[in-house]
Amino acid sequence: MAQVSYRKIAKSYGAVEVMRDVELDIADGEFAVLLGSSGCGKTTLLRMTAGLETITAGDLMIGGARVNDRPPKDRDIAMVFQNYALYPTMKVFENIAFSLRVKKAPEAEVKRKVGAAAEVLNLTDYLDRYPRELSGGQRQRVAMGRAMVRDAEVFLFDEPLSNLDAKLRAHMRVEIRQLHDRQGATTIYVTHDQIEAMTMADKIVLMKGGKVEQVGTPDELYDRPVSKYAADFVGSPSMNFIEGEIGEREGAPIFLAEGVAAPLPAPMARHLGRRTIAGLRPSDLHPAENGAVQGTLTLAEKTGADQNLHVRAAGVDIVSTAPRNFQVRQGQHIALAIPPERVHLFDAATERRLGA
Amino acid sequence: MRQSTPMELRMGAAREGRLSLPGLPRMLTSEHPLPWLLPLTAMLLVFTVYPLIYNIWLSFHEYVPFKRALVPVGTDNWARLLADERFWGAMGTTFLYFFVVLGIELVLGIALAMLLDSDAPGYGLLRSLLTLTLVIPPAITGMMFLLMEDAQFGVLTWALQGIGLLSPDTPILATPSTALAGVMLADIWQWTPFMVLIVLAGLRSLPPEPYEAAMLDGAGPWMIFRKITLPLLSKVLAVAILIRGIDLFRVFDYMFVMTSGGPGTSTYTLSLYAWQQTFSFIQWGYGATLSLVTLALILILANLFIWISKVRW
Repeated sequence: MAQVSYRKIAKSYGAVEVMRDVELDIADGEFAVLLGSSGCGKTTLLRMTAGLETITAGDLMIGGARVNDRPPKDRDIAMVFQNYALYPTMKVFENIAFSLRVKKAPEAEVKRKVGAAAEVLNLTDYLDRYPRELSGGQRQRVAMGRAMVRDAEVFLFDEPLSNLDAKLRAHMRVEIRQLHDRQGATTIYVTHDQIEAMTMADKIVLMKGGKVEQVGTPDELYDRPVSKYAADFVGSPSMNFIEGEIGEREGAPIFLAEGVAAPLPAPMARHLGRRTIAGLRPSDLHPAENGAVQGTLTLAEKTGADQNLHVRAAGVDIVSTAPRNFQVRQGQHIALAIPPERVHLFDAATERRLGA
Repeated sequence: MRQSTPMELRMGAAREGRLSLPGLPRMLTSEHPLPWLLPLTAMLLVFTVYPLIYNIWLSFHEYVPFKRALVPVGTDNWARLLADERFWGAMGTTFLYFFVVLGIELVLGIALAMLLDSDAPGYGLLRSLLTLTLVIPPAITGMMFLLMEDAQFGVLTWALQGIGLLSPDTPILATPSTALAGVMLADIWQWTPFMVLIVLAGLRSLPPEPYEAAMLDGAGPWMIFRKITLPLLSKVLAVAILIRGIDLFRVFDYMFVMTSGGPGTSTYTLSLYAWQQTFSFIQWGYGATLSLVTLALILILANLFIWISKVRW
């Protein structure tokens, strides 16, 4: 059992506080993704979990035991580093076998485990090479292999795919998730790429400025972002934001801004007159007669499967995803409709989500 | 694909013989390298190639004082060498000195370097203090240790006697069994900092990631040192061993100043013996033969070492 729990975790470098009050539980066998932009503290949190950074305050529990003061080697954690951190002086085989050598595992076991890992990772032909003789993708797989032979309680990944090209990244996403499903170990995965987070995670931990912004399943983050920041971070293309006010039309609440009149679900009536920011996902906005958003088309970007329409409305650039065969010309007037329940509302001052 | 920097473009243009590197004077971008190589070539010819050839020529001649001339002696000098017990003795002394001093300087150098590898305040000062021994001429160091190891008023003698390592009736540099160790001490004192500096430079440039990975893989400090640090340092250590090794093999100053090869012949190294034959006994031919052997040994050892220690990763 390796539940990982963070209790009021804080981190300071001298007088500079970079993280505080991190409260988080990651269940045994869960695939958790720490998501956030650079400097949000996600890597620091991961390195504190590994024991590579000291914890200034709070308790880190792994499997129910407080491990704050336990050195990395006694935490039973395997980690894949962003730059892979391979041992440059050892061949691939010895790189993968190193932890087994440390444990003085019998030669037969070393051969079997390294062989099995190499098999899964397609590295069998490269076991006799030095890391410098490998491509980035191969090095990444060696780093994975090194973690795989560990049978560790907890696996940590620190942006392992950030140095790979897009195609390989998509492939490795699947590999890592499958590896997790096979081994069933608790996994904490750090990334700034929301697509990685959405596709791989059981649970996403969105971080901002050294604090946890939102914790939830990918669907929860996508459907019910707690703040404008969370809404902006998740989803591609990004959510559109329009500042306006909640008004009333024919007894029903409606979001009003210049050129925008979007009907809202009935319970939103209690926020009548409030300054708000409406968040509209591009995938929820569709061209329609008498749509909620009226504007002119400035650009149609083909993405292959469909197209992103850039519409100038309410003084901002609104993006909508439309079918590839939808015909519209630049400069033409266009209306976009959105179902009332798909409109996200955030308080204009606090930027927190407004509940019904 | 990465864009070439302006400098690379220029270099490329220069290599292809095309010209005009904006900003560089014309004379530095010549398409004809020969004139630029000439000064160096001339210097090498005069100061390296000519003496070497002359030395070889000399080893087949001998100076005859009453004729005041060099006379050809064929391979006499080389035959004499093989039968010369003092030559074999000097060779043994040289090898002993070489291995012991190199070993101690290497181990001490690595150990001290690891202790000094820190960013804490004060360490920078400690590191720069290390260079102090390196600015002292070896002959002066020899004299210092000559005084310190003096049987009557030397501080080292006094200290060693104080802790019972040395009996009062043993003058360090005048006892055949301890004289060489006495000389080694000066060498170790002067040159260990050099090792420290080279190893430190290596240590400071090591990437932190493999260490973090090794810690997570469960390795302890000794395992990390043996499996990570030493292999990563191997290139640096190879250079340090090569430089110091060549220096040690031709050691001269310390013996010359401290013992003049004595007592008896117990601290005669090859260099010192070659010097004695050439300048004290005016056996120019034999002296040349001895120094050629030293040169050959250094070349063989150095190349053997380079070949063995060819770092593969």
